Amino acid sequence: MKEHNWEPVIGLEIHAELNTSSKLFSTDCNHFGDEPNTNISEVSVALPGTLPVLNKEAVRKAIQFGLATEGDVQLWSRFERKSYFYPDCPRNYQITQLEFPIVKGGCVSAFVEGEEKTFALNRVQLEDDAGMLKHFSAFAGVDFNRAGVPMIEIVSEACMHSAKEAVAYAQAIRSILDYLDVSDCNMEEGSFRFDVNVSVRKKGETALRTRSEIKNMNSFSNLEQAINFEIARHISLYEASPEEDISKVVDQATFRWDPETGTTILMRTKEDAQDYRYFPDPDLLPLIVTEAEVDAEKEHLPELPLARERRFCQEYGLSTKQSYFFVADRKLADYFEQVVQACGDVKMVCNWIAVEFTGRLKEKGIAIWESGISPKDVGDLICLIRKGAITGKIAKSVADEMVKAPGTSPKSIIKNRPEYQPFQDMDQLKKIVEEVVLENPDTVEAIKNGRDRSFAFLVGQVMKRTKGSAPPAEVNKLLKESMK
Amino acid sequence: MHSFSACELHRRFVDGEVSARKIAEDFLNRIRQLDPSLGAYLEIFEARVIEQADRLDCKRRGGEPLGLLAGIPIAIKDNINIKGEKTTCASKFLENFIAPFDATVTRRIREEDGIILGKTNLDEFAMGTTCENSAVQITRNPWDSNLVPGGSSGGSAAAVAADMAPIAFGSDTGGSIRLPASFCGISSFKPTYGRISRYGLVAFGSSLDQIGPMAYSCEDLERIMQVVAVPCEKDSTSLSDPAFSPVSFEERYGSGFRVGVPWQFLEGLPNDTRAIFDRALKSLRSIGADIIEVDLSILQYAVSTYYILCTAEASTNLARFDGIRYGVRSDRAETLDEVYDFSREEGFGDEVKRRIMLGTFVLSSGYQDAYYRKAQKVRQLIINRFNDAFLKCDCIAFPTSLSGAFAFGEKKEPLSLYLEDLYTVGANLTGVPVMALPAGFLPDSRPIGFQLFGQQRHDAELLSIGRAFQSVTEYHTQRPKGMNK
Repeated sequence: MKEHNWEPVIGLEIHAELNTSSKLFSTDCNHFGDEPNTNISEVSVALPGTLPVLNKEAVRKAIQFGLATEGDVQLWSRFERKSYFYPDCPRNYQITQLEFPIVKGGCVSAFVEGEEKTFALNRVQLEDDAGMLKHFSAFAGVDFNRAGVPMIEIVSEACMHSAKEAVAYAQAIRSILDYLDVSDCNMEEGSFRFDVNVSVRKKGETALRTRSEIKNMNSFSNLEQAINFEIARHISLYEASPEEDISKVVDQATFRWDPETGTTILMRTKEDAQDYRYFPDPDLLPLIVTEAEVDAEKEHLPELPLARERRFCQEYGLSTKQSYFFVADRKLADYFEQVVQACGDVKMVCNWIAVEFTGRLKEKGIAIWESGISPKDVGDLICLIRKGAITGKIAKSVADEMVKAPGTSPKSIIKNRPEYQPFQDMDQLKKIVEEVVLENPDTVEAIKNGRDRSFAFLVGQVMKRTKGSAPPAEVNKLLKESMK
Repeated sequence: MHSFSACELHRRFVDGEVSARKIAEDFLNRIRQLDPSLGAYLEIFEARVIEQADRLDCKRRGGEPLGLLAGIPIAIKDNINIKGEKTTCASKFLENFIAPFDATVTRRIREEDGIILGKTNLDEFAMGTTCENSAVQITRNPWDSNLVPGGSSGGSAAAVAADMAPIAFGSDTGGSIRLPASFCGISSFKPTYGRISRYGLVAFGSSLDQIGPMAYSCEDLERIMQVVAVPCEKDSTSLSDPAFSPVSFEERYGSGFRVGVPWQFLEGLPNDTRAIFDRALKSLRSIGADIIEVDLSILQYAVSTYYILCTAEASTNLARFDGIRYGVRSDRAETLDEVYDFSREEGFGDEVKRRIMLGTFVLSSGYQDAYYRKAQKVRQLIINRFNDAFLKCDCIAFPTSLSGAFAFGEKKEPLSLYLEDLYTVGANLTGVPVMALPAGFLPDSRPIGFQLFGQQRHDAELLSIGRAFQSVTEYHTQRPKGMNK
């Protein structure tokens, strides 16, 4: 397979549930995880005679997202009925936007393999979610708690050219939603999920070839694998029939991703695609937003990931890569700033959060901000190192303890473990230093002759005898004195 | 008692001349006596009615404030929800469906102490012009039991015409209040779209549906409008205008008013209907109307436009009747698709199926541009022409139908029935208020009505003209023979 001759073209449709207090068209509670069919009224289950009334909070959140992605917020948009029969869809039509979405255009930046890239959005549309089917041994039930939950569907242009770009794009979108606090973006709960369109073409071609759609994925790794699978499948199809008319090689079809087998599974081909019969919902008036309302949302926008990324570089001197690492996760970035405030040493903070603690927490599968380890404790640990109260080596052991028992302060860990305590008996230290000097005359001689590297050997000897607890600065000083 | 107007009943009750209990019993007796042969009601809430009447009597004895409808019995079309009672829409599909919430109209009636007598028959899901599409029963025209009452609000019209309720509610998507009112010789009012909340009305064509009252006199229509024409936050299309308040004809139109007539559009009218229409115009002149001509020839496209739009909307509105959550679920169904297919096959009647299929077709990809979208454009043109016409006049007069009520089974061809809507659908397509008033009788004694279309949101103004018209005519005081016992 000559993969380098091919260019994948990828577009994403991301569904993000909005974290409003009530549903998109009713006052029913919008809350995940409750007893089935408790957050419902006559509207959520579409009893005859019920009508939708638009939730303004959802509109505001959609506008915020549009502004945050530099989209064009539409002062006139409208809702359409999208007809299809399925038991989780109580009206048997979804209320969504098609011709006139609330936001058109926009873009997001993401950091992909060492490079900052910008991806274009096509539109953002407001729509309501469906309920959920639950399968039991002899029957299926429907939980309508989710039916009517507001969502924004964020549609990208077909502007991505690798699975990695698609994942970076999706992560950037999630990060913006998180900063705006408009969605919980909880992928396990399904409040952030994506459909992806994939096609490939020969490098240099401008027209798009036939695409596959893979629906309803809710993890970045599934997204990446599914895209790579389809790219490879398309390329192999084209390469297997080089003489064939290119429009006839790949069938336009919709798939789902099966993580078990690592393959895409055909759901339907273009021939049996549904006719959704979109038309404007006569129960709802056109959605009219004033300039003043848009301006009010603009004023209240929080600092967004991109702006924060730029600030982190400027204010803390981070590299773009480091900066993206922190800002991608709002709570991680908050955490970073709190630790910096507590101890002041940006370089050490970067290392201790990004490397030491993140590494230690990997096994637990959680981020530091949700670990129970407070920013103050991390800051204290770094301060202890900087003051020379503990060595880097002991600090690592202390960090192990902090991960094991989150919430325990570094000071109390050190207090309870004598071996972590700094070597405080200076006379004793002096004695040890002198012993080491006496026992290694050759090394001392070498140092005096300019072999600086041998000095580290002597330091190591002292550390060995003090079990690593001697303050390094003091050891250096004493060694130099005793060799004079 | 049953021949008193709603306003008269209210006055007598409030003044202590008659108890609510007495009024209630009187109407229940009348219904027991007449309805077995007329079939206007699908259900009568006997126990509930007596209970509520007694509560009202207590209230009055205790000197508590009484609502605007205190002592007035009211019938409700069975596509409007009453909490705890069945809403069947005269469909097999919903024969056991009990509404768990009140329509806004129902709530308002309760709040103003109206006494809800029962639910009235209709064409299934309000789709029809004769009431023959009811899956439950036939309703007969009180003027002649061989005739249809008109539809779809045929039960409500027959109930009022036979004095089995002084006021009844119907719903009007393309003439469903006005046609039966005219066939049954009573008055009716389809308000401006959005004037009465649709919350709790089972939707047929959402952009056309409007609930409205039926009674013998405009005075009664005005009274009930004050109660139910209020803004409603549960209906996004509800107007935010303050509650309906009657206006004085003398103050508003004392110095004259203009009535437009689209003459060229009335050319096909049979002579006897035309004579009655002309006489109505004469009566309007006598109260100060200046009759002028308006051009509404565009209405030749109204019926086809209407049937494309209402079926399109209906095809999605009725999609919720799927056998999953309520209503019929077919016993034969073994797969999900069969639940849908068989439940709908068994639950819906022919006309409902016909309209769902028509609506699905006009929305389907490849045909939507030629049908649905084109119809939307024509609808806008019709609205524009009405706006032009209303620059020249205060209201526009139309006949309600080509002729009076016809016999059961006389018109079976769907297309010929659809053409019965020729004069009525314009008001729904444009959303303007319209009243249909009794205008006389054909030589064979069948009642005939005529319509006055008003300007958007000029509901009160229009009804004031209706009142003035009824002050110089007596058609609305006539009652079917053999009913006056």
